[in-house]
Amino acid sequence: MFRSHWHPLLLLSPALVLLALLTLYPIGYSLMLAFTNTQYGGPMTFVGLDNFRDLFSDWFFNQATRNTIVFTLAASLTQVGLGLLLALLFHQPFRGRAWLLPLCIYPMMLSTLVCSSIWKAWLHYDFGWLNNFFDVLGIARVSWLSDPQTALAAIVLVDTWQWTPLAFLLLLAGLQAIPPDIEEAATLEGATSWQRFWHVRLPLVRAPLFLALLLRSIDAFKLFDKNYVLTGGGPAYSTETLSLLAYKQGFKFFHLGTASAIAVVMLIIALVLSLAYAWQVMRRPH
Amino acid sequence: MTRLLRPLGVTLAVLFFTLPTLWMLGTAFKPAAEYIGTSLVFWPSQPTFSHFIQLFDEGVLRRLFNTLVVSIGTTAVSLSVGFISAYALVRYRFPARLDHAFLLLVLLIKTLPPIVVAIPLYRVLNALNLLDSHLGLMLSYQVYTLPFCIWMLLSFVRQIPIDLEEAASLEGAGLVQRLLRVVVPLAAPGLVATLIFAMLLAWNEFLFALLFIQTPSQFTLPLYIATFTTENQTFWGPLMAIGALSSLPVLLLAGYLQKHLLRGFAMSPQ
Repeated sequence: MFRSHWHPLLLLSPALVLLALLTLYPIGYSLMLAFTNTQYGGPMTFVGLDNFRDLFSDWFFNQATRNTIVFTLAASLTQVGLGLLLALLFHQPFRGRAWLLPLCIYPMMLSTLVCSSIWKAWLHYDFGWLNNFFDVLGIARVSWLSDPQTALAAIVLVDTWQWTPLAFLLLLAGLQAIPPDIEEAATLEGATSWQRFWHVRLPLVRAPLFLALLLRSIDAFKLFDKNYVLTGGGPAYSTETLSLLAYKQGFKFFHLGTASAIAVVMLIIALVLSLAYAWQVMRRPH
Repeated sequence: MTRLLRPLGVTLAVLFFTLPTLWMLGTAFKPAAEYIGTSLVFWPSQPTFSHFIQLFDEGVLRRLFNTLVVSIGTTAVSLSVGFISAYALVRYRFPARLDHAFLLLVLLIKTLPPIVVAIPLYRVLNALNLLDSHLGLMLSYQVYTLPFCIWMLLSFVRQIPIDLEEAASLEGAGLVQRLLRVVVPLAAPGLVATLIFAMLLAWNEFLFALLFIQTPSQFTLPLYIATFTTENQTFWGPLMAIGALSSLPVLLLAGYLQKHLLRGFAMSPQ
């Protein structure tokens, strides 16, 4: 540790200036706008809690909130579940593991726009690879993105393809960190592979499991690019999310007050998630 | 039973995660007749460069260049600012746990959906006369890359032993000399890893580019891709050709990226 009063301040000041200009001021400004009925270029009138009252009784907002929550839970749970399965498959060494593992994590390095364009083609009703493959299997074609019943699930599928690799890597690192003698001891005591998983491995990977779930929820909650590209929020608003709704209100209809009120609701949810994240990563390891 | 299950599971996983990307690479070289239809074949039977030629005629290189400029500019700022911040947080004692407060703020910004700050950010860029400019994108991308760089560099700077710096300090080296002569060389691998990931973040960013760039010639690659996908058309050949072009850096760096992937997400800052 070095001692100086002005060195740390000097070193941190560029970051503080940038973060203040780009995030603290914007957050403050959104908090203010949320209580006004400002239109783009128009005057700013204070309307108290009206925006929030209107939002909570607004069908579109409730639909977007519901979709966002369903998507966040479905996507993060699926990805962490599949990621755990994959991590267990890749935990023990086998032939070809060294070059098969990188193949399984490629998707998370591609741009979301590239992922979405591949899957937009794959999910196409008439010419999509998936439906063509279903023909071969004798399964009926599915109108993935154009049916309100399946559209959100289809986006969960795309997100799962892109981000299961992250959960997989986090959990694999967790499994690899288990001291081998613990597992050996369990095997010597006659534990079956199921008992070994349930009583030894699972409790020991609780921290990475929670971290993976949290990281995927935080990111899934932001969902914008995929539904913007794949469905535009449709059909029948079945894939509208809070990010997309805030974007439309603010940048299409120029209802800055409404858009900011949505932003404030999202900010509060993000705050809860980030406190959980901070609690997870900032506590000292024992 | 596990003897059978493992190969089966691994095969399914590998197919699921690789086939769509392989299809992209194959379709980039297929004539339209081969991808509009019910064929399941991945590789073109009559390979063509026509999609790439069409893209070059439409100015894809310009967009590639735009994306590169924005990514480099964004990363240069974030990496230098993030590095000195991480250094300060590791090497100095702060009163009243202000360092923890700062880290908490950084985490909150990492968690924040970017749309939350988008409207005021539009005002900021407008006031600075930076809308529809690459400089404006570089500035707004700090929202993503700066918290990321601070967090990732923190774990690298912590691993540098303080002894060398103390020795340099006893010999009269000041802060700037210590940083440049001792810390930067030792942190070089970490700086390179962080640089690559920050570049990737900027390279792939979509929302702010969509909001802040209007002129088509200023478009970045993700924005350019979106002009193909938002209409309900099946221009899959050209689309997959840009997909392949814009994924090229990642496909080349994959092995390296995989090794460092977890740092920016998981490392405890302690």
